[in-house]
Amino acid sequence: MIQHLIDGILIGAILSLGATGLTMVMHMLRFANFSHAELLSIGAYSALVFEQLFKAVLPFTAGTIGPLSMTWALAVAMIASMAVTGASAVLFDKLIFKRVREKGEELSMVFASFGLALIIRNVIGLVFGLQTQLFSKDIIFATVLSRDPLIMVKPDQIAVLAITLLIIFALHLILSRTTYGYALRAVAENPSLAQVNGINLQRMIVTVWLIGGGLAALAGVFYGLTNQISPVIGRDLVLPVFAATIVGGLGSIYGALLGGFIVGIAANLALTVLPSGYSPSVPFLIILAVLLVRPHGLFGEERQ
Amino acid sequence: MKYLTANRYALGLATALGIALAAGSASAQECTTKIGAVLPTSVDWGKPIAETAQYVVDQVNEAGGAAGCKIEMVLRDSQVDPKVGVDAAKALVDIDGVQVLIGAVSSGVTMPILTSVAVPAGVAEFSCCSSSGAFTKLAEEGKLKGLWFRTFATSNVQAAVGAKVAKDQGYKSVAVLYKNDDWGQDIGKLVAGHLEAQGIKVTSLIAINDGQPSYRAEVTEAISGNPEALYMALYPTEGTSIVRDWLSLGGTQNMIGANSLKSDEFRNNVGMQYLGSFRGTDTSSPRVASADAFVAQYKEHFGKEPNGPGLANSYDATMIALLAMEAAGKDAKGADIAAAVARVTDPSGEPVTADKDGFAKAKEILAGGGNVLYQGATGNVRFDANGDVSAPAVVWTFTEEGTKEDSYITLEEVGELTAK
Repeated sequence: MIQHLIDGILIGAILSLGATGLTMVMHMLRFANFSHAELLSIGAYSALVFEQLFKAVLPFTAGTIGPLSMTWALAVAMIASMAVTGASAVLFDKLIFKRVREKGEELSMVFASFGLALIIRNVIGLVFGLQTQLFSKDIIFATVLSRDPLIMVKPDQIAVLAITLLIIFALHLILSRTTYGYALRAVAENPSLAQVNGINLQRMIVTVWLIGGGLAALAGVFYGLTNQISPVIGRDLVLPVFAATIVGGLGSIYGALLGGFIVGIAANLALTVLPSGYSPSVPFLIILAVLLVRPHGLFGEERQ
Repeated sequence: MKYLTANRYALGLATALGIALAAGSASAQECTTKIGAVLPTSVDWGKPIAETAQYVVDQVNEAGGAAGCKIEMVLRDSQVDPKVGVDAAKALVDIDGVQVLIGAVSSGVTMPILTSVAVPAGVAEFSCCSSSGAFTKLAEEGKLKGLWFRTFATSNVQAAVGAKVAKDQGYKSVAVLYKNDDWGQDIGKLVAGHLEAQGIKVTSLIAINDGQPSYRAEVTEAISGNPEALYMALYPTEGTSIVRDWLSLGGTQNMIGANSLKSDEFRNNVGMQYLGSFRGTDTSSPRVASADAFVAQYKEHFGKEPNGPGLANSYDATMIALLAMEAAGKDAKGADIAAAVARVTDPSGEPVTADKDGFAKAKEILAGGGNVLYQGATGNVRFDANGDVSAPAVVWTFTEEGTKEDSYITLEEVGELTAK
C-alpha cells in the first residue's frame, strides 16, 4: 500500500512536468494540444543523441552521478535537449499552429495537433527505429527503505522527484514574482488587453512554447530514465498527461503538479482494488469525478 | 485456374488408375463425393496450404478414393474475411452438399463458419491452422457437437510446458504476468492451472496492458507475493520494462517466458547477465520419421521445402478427414465422419503412413473392422475430447548470440503434461 503510494508519487512527478507545460499552452493559446506528449519523445530522443555525443567528445563525462544511473553526459544532454525541444515547439507553432490560429477555429487547432502528433511519432520511428532504447542498460537496484512494510525506491526516482519539485517551485516564483510572469498571465487572461498595455504577444507565445517544450523534454528524459524510450512514448503518455492537466485545472501550475500526483497515485493504487486489466480506465474515472464536482478542475478558474 | 488444371490432371490420373484398378474394385470410381475447402487462396501464404490439401485428395484418389467414391475438393477463397468465408462455406454446404469442410485458417474466419454453418448443418470441420482457445471453450460447453477438429496446437502446450519447467527447476511459487489480449488471457489462465496442478503456488495472476506509463504497480503487486519465479506471457516491449523494474526491486532472476519473448530486443535491453536462469518455451515441429517422410514427399512433389506456415497441419487435417470418411463408409453424414475420426487416430490401432500407400493400407484395415493409427506430417495426431491436438515443445535459453535449445519435449511427453 505504502509502496504503491510512493510509486504513484514518483510516476506522478513525470506526469506533472508534462502537465505543467501543457496547462500553460492550453491556458494561453486556448486549445487542447494533443501533440504535447510528442514533445516528451523529442526530448528523450534528443537527450539520447546528445548523451552519445558528449560521451564521445568528452569521455570524462561518461561516469555516473553518485548512486544514479544518470551520467554527467546525460545531465548536460538534458539541458541541451530542453533547448532543442523548446525550439522544436516554437518551430511547430510557426509552421502549423500560428497559421491555423490565424485562419481557423479552436477545433481546427485541435485537429492540427492530432495530425502533428502522428507525424512526429512516425518520423521518430523512421529515424530511430521502432525498437525500445535505454539511456543505460545497467539495472540500478532499488534501495530498501523499510523491510516491514517493504518499501523500496530507486535513487533515480528520488532525483526525478526532487528536480521536479524544484523546477515547479522556480516556475511558480517566476510567474508570481516577476514582470515577465505577470505579462504571461495577462496574455492568458485577455490577449487584446495585454497588447494594449504594451505586451509583445508574439514574444509571450514563444516563451510559453519554450517553457512547455523544455519541461516536456525533462519529463521525456525522466521517463526514459525510469522506464524506456520508444517512439510511442507520446501515445502512451498523452492521456495521463491530459488527465493530470484537466484534474488540476487549466492554467494552474500547482494544479498540474497536484493533478500529476493524483493521476499517478490513483493508477498505482487502483491495482489494490481493481483487477489489473482495468487500470487504464483509472485516469478517466478521475477526470469524470473531478469534473462532476469542480467543472474547471481543482485549481482552475472560471472564464468566459 | 491453376486448381482447375490441377484437378483435371488429377481427374485424368484417377481415371487412368480407375481403369487399372477396375478389375480389383469394380464399385469404386463410378461416383464422386465432394468435400469443401474454405482457405485464403488470395494471400500468398494461404495458397500453399490449399495446394497441400489438394495434394492429399490427389493421393487418396490414386489409392482408389474414399468410401467407395472418388473425392473432389471444391475450393473456395476465404480472403481472410469472416463474411466471405461464411458465404463460401454456406455455398459449399447448401449447393455442393458437402459433409466435410476443410478450413479455415484464421480463427476469426473459422469461428463464424463453424458456429453458423458447419455445426447447424451437422458438417464435420477440420482446420489446419486456427489456434484460438475459444474453440476449446465452445467444445467444452458442448456447442460444437463433436464436429470440430484442428491439427494446430493450442496455447495449452506452451502453458503446460511452462509449468513443467517451473517444476523441473524446483520452484515452489510463481507469479504469472500475461498480456491483456485474447492470446495472453488464454495462456495466462492455462499456465496458472497447470502450475497449480503441479503443486506450485501461483502467488499472483496479473494482466498487463500495453502502453502503460509505468508498470511499477503491477511489478510491486507481483513481487509482494514473494514468488520464487516469474512466468511471463508478454511481448518484448512490456516484458523489458517489467523485467527491468522487477530486477531493480530485488525480484528473482528465475524467469520463464513464452515464445513471444524470443527476441533480441528483450535480451539486449534486459542484459545477458540477468538472463542466465531464464527459460523460454515454444512449440516445435515433431522429430519423428513420419514428419521427415512428409518433408521428403512434399519436396518431391512441389520441388521446394514445406517452409510456409501450416503445411504439415493442412496435410494432416485433410488426410484425417478423408480417412474418417473412409472409416464412416458410403454416404456418411458429417456426424458419422466426425465420430469415425477416433477410429483412424487410435493409439492402439495399426500404424499407417501419411501417403498414398498408407491410405490404401488403411482402407484394407478399416474394411476388416480394424482401427488405424495415422502417423502424420505432424507426428501421431491425437485429438482430445475437444478436437484439439498437441505438439512437441522445446525449452530454450538465451545466449550471447541469440537463443539455443535447452531440451526437446516429445509429443508423448507433452500429451502427458497437457492431460494433467
